[in-house]
Amino acid sequence: MIEIDNVSKWYSDFQVLKGCTTKVAKGEVVVVCGPSGSGKSTLIQCVNALEPFQQGDIRIEGVSVRDRKTDLPKVRARVGMVFQHFELFPHLTVIANLCIAQMKVLGRGREEATKKAMALLERVDLKEQAPKYPGQLSGGQQQRVAIARALAMDPIAMLFDEPTSALDPEMINEVLDVMVALAQEGMTMMVVTHEMGFARKVAHRVIFMDKGEIVEDAPKEDFFGRPRSERAQLFLSKILQH
Amino acid sequence: MLTGFDFDVIWRSLSYLFLDGMVFTVQLTLLSAAGGIILGTLIAMMRLSSLAPLSLFAAGYVNLVRSLPLVLVIFWFYFLIPWVWQWVTSAPRPVPVGAFLSALITFTMFEAAYYAEIMRAGIQSVRKGQVGAGYALGMTYGQVMGYVVLPQAFRNMLPVLLTQTIILFQDTSLVYVLSITDFLGAASKIANRDFRPVEMYLFAAVVYFAISFTLSSLVRQLQSRIAIVR
Repeated sequence: MIEIDNVSKWYSDFQVLKGCTTKVAKGEVVVVCGPSGSGKSTLIQCVNALEPFQQGDIRIEGVSVRDRKTDLPKVRARVGMVFQHFELFPHLTVIANLCIAQMKVLGRGREEATKKAMALLERVDLKEQAPKYPGQLSGGQQQRVAIARALAMDPIAMLFDEPTSALDPEMINEVLDVMVALAQEGMTMMVVTHEMGFARKVAHRVIFMDKGEIVEDAPKEDFFGRPRSERAQLFLSKILQH
Repeated sequence: MLTGFDFDVIWRSLSYLFLDGMVFTVQLTLLSAAGGIILGTLIAMMRLSSLAPLSLFAAGYVNLVRSLPLVLVIFWFYFLIPWVWQWVTSAPRPVPVGAFLSALITFTMFEAAYYAEIMRAGIQSVRKGQVGAGYALGMTYGQVMGYVVLPQAFRNMLPVLLTQTIILFQDTSLVYVLSITDFLGAASKIANRDFRPVEMYLFAAVVYFAISFTLSSLVRQLQSRIAIVR
């Protein structure tokens, strides 16, 4: 479904991604981890071409996101994305946040969009918050709204870019619960996160990145059981100590 | 000192001052503010564009206009526009466009440069992640601007836009150099007709002050309300 093929990216002289290659199959949950500055966020932002890259290619259901002829908005509309800082639209109510792209991008009518939005808000347990503005919600609630907003587009896959990194500890689980449920329903997911508990629970594969390279790309059991590279072993020992 | 004052001249000319003069001033202010904000927003978007020719053109326009005295531009356009219009429509002789239209075009284009800088700051005040979120939902550049960035930019910049409009309201008095009957022009005409310059110019100053000061106070209130909402 998502093919990342030898992707390299530079910020002027500095190379942030070095020939990254991997695949995410339909229904697969792939967790991307690694120390900060390893390029994992950059890589996931390349998948729907929010970040340009200079070499290699990424294809979503066979459609290249680097090809100039590709209708990028159309490709992006099919891939949901959740950001570290939520990025809800602060000038719109929660319900309007869920409806705007449905109506303006997918061309759904107001009634249909609202119905879909309310169903999703119910699913993330935030139905009562529909008329409020994002600023009136807690971080965990905002992130759940952001997930619902992405799901409202009926995506074929979901990208999560450190969805719990900006949250207070007591709010992390309410967001992870939604993500776990989504994974168990068979959603195709690529998740950049440090939450190894989440990875253990629902990931099929774990990708470990360091210094812009994919160092390890292994089934969950292998990655946690016997990581091959020294760098991954070091990372795991640091992150799993406590 | 006030014994020589003839307040009656003000009273007698109120309807001319306000119905002719002030109506013109307010119309010119509102129309050129609307035009200036629209044009200024477009220029700001061009200036922030990644396409070099667009951003160079916009930067050049803003820097040129902001380096010229307004009175000069008013004169210049008043005499230039008929010739431009002749050239555009290939009419046999220069086409007079009328003082109001000439002033409106001048102020719209002049103020656009100032509004553009305000809107540029406004657009840059919107977090980059908001743009990313819009694109990630499948929006086009136009949709991201129209539904996500500009509404927030306008809201953030509303007090500054209004303050600039109050300055524009005062600046419109410069059209009096074209003998147009705006508020100041009306006051000046009566001052000359009845030989009452002190009363008329004093009254004009009081009116400009009262309106501008009231509006500025309202903007300050608005500013503190917006600050709470955010």
